[in-house]
Amino acid sequence: MGLVARSLARGTANALDRRLSIAAAARRQASHVFPKHHSFFWGEFALYSFVVLVLSGVYLSFFFVPDTHEVVYLGSYLPARGEYMSRAYESALDISFDVRGGLFVRQLHHWAAVVFVASMVLHMCRNFFTGAFRRPRELTWVGGVALLLLGIFEGYLGYSQIDDLLSGLGVRIISGLLLSIPLIGTWLHWMVFGGPYAGEIWISRFYIAHVLLIPGLLIAIIALHVGLVWYQKHTHFPGPGAREKNVVGERAVPGFGTNTIANGLWVLAVLGLLAGAFQINPVFLWGPYDPSAASTYIQPDWYAGFLIGGLRLWPRAEIHLGSYTVPAPFWPGVFLPLVMFALLAAYPFLERWANRDWRHHQLLQRPRDNPTRTAVGAMGLTFYGVLFASGATDVLSATFDVPFELLVWAGRIGVIVLPPLAFMVTKRICVGLQRADRDVLERGAHTGVLQERPDGVYIEVRRPPGGADREGRPIPLDYGGARVDQRPATSPEPVGEEQQR
Amino acid sequence: MTRRVRHALLVLAALVALGGAYTLLVPAPQTASAQSGQAQIDQGRALYEQACISCHGSNLQGAPDRGPSLVGVGDAAVYFQVSTGRMPLARSEDRGYRRVPAPEFDPDTDQGRANLAALGAYIQSVGGGPQVPAETGPQLIGSDVGHGGDLFRLNCAYCHNFTGRGGILGAGRYPPRLEAATPEQMYTAMLSGPMAMPVFSDKQLTPEEKKDIIAYVLAVRGQNNAPGGYDLGELGPSTEGVIAFLVGLGALVLVAAWIGARS
Amino acid sequence: MSSEKDLTGPELQRMSRKELVELGNSLDGVRVAAEEPGRGAADARSERRRRRLVTLLLVASLMFAGAFIWVYNLWPSAYVPPGAPGHTTYLFYTPLLGITFFGMVAALAAAMVLYVKSFYPNEVAVQELEIGPSPETERFTAAATFAEAGEQTGFGRRTMVRRLGITAFGILGLVGGMVGLGGLVRNPWEGRDDSPLWTTGWKPIGGETVYLRIATGDPTDIRRVRPEDIDQDGVVTVVPFRESERGDIEKLRDAESSPDNPVQLLRLPPDTQVRNLPGREDLHHGDFYAFSKICTHLGCPATLYDSQQQILLCPCHQSEFAITEGGRPIFGPAARPLPQLPITVDADGYFVARGDFPDPVGPSFWEIRRGSH
Repeated sequence: MGLVARSLARGTANALDRRLSIAAAARRQASHVFPKHHSFFWGEFALYSFVVLVLSGVYLSFFFVPDTHEVVYLGSYLPARGEYMSRAYESALDISFDVRGGLFVRQLHHWAAVVFVASMVLHMCRNFFTGAFRRPRELTWVGGVALLLLGIFEGYLGYSQIDDLLSGLGVRIISGLLLSIPLIGTWLHWMVFGGPYAGEIWISRFYIAHVLLIPGLLIAIIALHVGLVWYQKHTHFPGPGAREKNVVGERAVPGFGTNTIANGLWVLAVLGLLAGAFQINPVFLWGPYDPSAASTYIQPDWYAGFLIGGLRLWPRAEIHLGSYTVPAPFWPGVFLPLVMFALLAAYPFLERWANRDWRHHQLLQRPRDNPTRTAVGAMGLTFYGVLFASGATDVLSATFDVPFELLVWAGRIGVIVLPPLAFMVTKRICVGLQRADRDVLERGAHTGVLQERPDGVYIEVRRPPGGADREGRPIPLDYGGARVDQRPATSPEPVGEEQQR
Repeated sequence: MTRRVRHALLVLAALVALGGAYTLLVPAPQTASAQSGQAQIDQGRALYEQACISCHGSNLQGAPDRGPSLVGVGDAAVYFQVSTGRMPLARSEDRGYRRVPAPEFDPDTDQGRANLAALGAYIQSVGGGPQVPAETGPQLIGSDVGHGGDLFRLNCAYCHNFTGRGGILGAGRYPPRLEAATPEQMYTAMLSGPMAMPVFSDKQLTPEEKKDIIAYVLAVRGQNNAPGGYDLGELGPSTEGVIAFLVGLGALVLVAAWIGARS
Repeated sequence: MSSEKDLTGPELQRMSRKELVELGNSLDGVRVAAEEPGRGAADARSERRRRRLVTLLLVASLMFAGAFIWVYNLWPSAYVPPGAPGHTTYLFYTPLLGITFFGMVAALAAAMVLYVKSFYPNEVAVQELEIGPSPETERFTAAATFAEAGEQTGFGRRTMVRRLGITAFGILGLVGGMVGLGGLVRNPWEGRDDSPLWTTGWKPIGGETVYLRIATGDPTDIRRVRPEDIDQDGVVTVVPFRESERGDIEKLRDAESSPDNPVQLLRLPPDTQVRNLPGREDLHHGDFYAFSKICTHLGCPATLYDSQQQILLCPCHQSEFAITEGGRPIFGPAARPLPQLPITVDADGYFVARGDFPDPVGPSFWEIRRGSH
């Protein structure tokens, strides 16, 4: 660093501190301790994907025209020449073919969107299965669930407004779902679309929600979410020195700070690679929306897959109340996702109430150490997974040559039978893993070496991690919630003859 | 109508290129076989009695549980079924999917084209029906690709997919992918409506429109018009989701494991 | 801690930087429990090797940046259709952008991570947490401050003012919401029997004949349908057409793009046994059946026509409708039969609609069984 730079930095710091007295606050942030674990970077994937989304989205908004009016395409993409299409779809084609690098940025935006939601789900699973949501972090969790819901909604709005044939079917489905809501459905539909499907106003409404309302909410909740993580300090895994009232890790500068910037660059790099090397949502191949046209393999982006799966599995059951009707798609399409997200948001409070656990938790749990929670999580993921897979019955049917009717029935049965099964199996696995850990701590790691006792019985040599007492009996160690080293070589001296096989 | 004229001008250059490339790749099918008239029909009857008679009967009337009647199917159906290898069936349980055609009916050989024409002439002579167009190869590729796209999505894509990747039907049957279909095969398929496919008469889709549809399929099938990188099979968001998780998130998780590794 | 805070200027100036950092850490409840040098500090050779690797990565990043800039600006990016010369070159534009971009950013990121691992000290810091409620002094004084403030307002005593004030604030919020959302409210039943939920573009207007016109995506192409135009096992998408619309491109286009208009006209084999639904016995014309293309589940086109089994399949959620059973749903989530359009043939031999659909088209809704026509 040159002298000039240094004096400039000092000058700025002094000027700021004279006006704002920020020396203490700045120092406190710099010496903030952040625990070190690779899974703690997962949430950042979503954060940095969001940054990429905002930047690429601003770029796209310079070119995208949220307008339903029909034009005849005369741009450079030959197979669409002369077609009637909305101005919105035309501008998406222009971005793809007539703007230098436009296709790259469009694909970057879309890949960032699917990775954004995917990393939120991954991050949420990590938090769920390690119990990070427990007191005092319930609000962080609820904020995260809100982010996931808004992220899905934001993605849906973004891909809909292009008005291509694939997403157009998605808009029609949302219109149908609005109509399916009991009592207020038709009125709600008229509010959102300004009349019957589809009208002329919907793209500009979707657009303003996509570029202003929901991003604004997302930014506000992300700020709250990250702010809470920083203010309350990050949880850490049990390990040497880690206690319920401290954080063990490294300070914000320089280590954590540099690493998190590097992580952000990695996110940018991977998204850039996807954006260039893998074609995503080729709207020019889907063609403009036409209410009487359709294609095979109609799927939404992956994060809405569970919704379409539920819609495909639900039986044809309309409920008639007098002269009124509760349409069938209301249950899987509106009610179910609401219940799923409500349960997700309420989970910390439900678990707190079930366990009567009002303590603060700074230490994370290994999934095996809370078998019930892990089993509940596995049950939820299985339920979600069956719905998700059922959202692709057509692709699966064609790929694996299984009649789709069979897959639908498999999904209908699976969605009821598999989750409880997953619960039971997961719980057993967790308990088994716990026992294995304690067995190693009490009796020692397995070495695979057999010894013959004088009485002719063969026993395995074990290496107790806590060593052995004078009589050769292993000294049992307590389980501290951290990973138990199962490898025999790293344990102290071996002890034989203590356990009969 | 002005719209049409404008298109014609706009697309001309590319179509010349498209047609040109196509001519280079695909040999022109039969240009009116040497034989004509009765001799050709007799040869067709001989081929019929060799390859088809066991299932379709001696007078094309069909046989119960073996094969349907061929009266009135026309030589368009013959050309489609036999040149795509769907017929003659190798085994009765085959479901009539595209296979390598029998060598004597291979549309890529002169002999095969002559035999196809002869067999078609025989079937046509008995029951009539939709006929193979006189034009072949590049002549079957229309000039208005954009309009072909509209018509393809209105009439074809719901079974064959946006870009001809096939699809699903009830009870484990699958509309075919269009990657390998020649213009003649697409044309005769539209005319004859094989298997579960509806029939598209010339009044419904005019010959010009059929050719536009063929032009569109040729323009978008396979890797055509995939400027955004690998096309992931063009199965839509399902495969994109898989890539997002496996490549995107997978790479990031590995990188994070490296960054976060304790030394 | 407070005593440390009271250190004077000269005292602080005498302290070394290490001591100052320790002092700062202790003020923040941080203790550096262990600090090892990075991996690159083991020996001079390792230092050199790691420095070289980082340098190499940074140079690679710069080279990829150069490549990206070159590709972005100089590689042909204009669309070239398949088969035309230059198509393959064009196809590589976006992938090359992606690869060079990845190289540029990933090499920089890798250099950073490697640098941290090699040369940053590897520390284990422990920060004590202040978890739980604030110190009692803070809590008591805060509570008292707010209680006092509340007392000073005097709202507690003036019940009437309090209640009215709260109500006024509530009403203000409601008024805001009303103004914000009120403009969005539209009455779906404004047209009563003519509400778009009950009617489609097939509804006769002023007694004018409504023809079945083949949808081609081209509004200048007006083709009415006659029975002989459709072969057996044929299916064609048709939209309403009125002679008064001839030449009016906007209206003709509207007929094609109105979401509830599309109808598929099917011609069944002559001897097909059809069990028409009650009330639908005379809607067809001979072997010709006209069904709405719009799925009764959620509105996708239920349009995969299987001419062998006479089944229509919807590609979105895979509802199946049996034409031989009058459009009844036989598999999947759709609950209502496909609406059927009453058709006949006029004196000139063209198909015409005998009226609008007797049943509402599209997805179900709360009031659907109160249909008033």
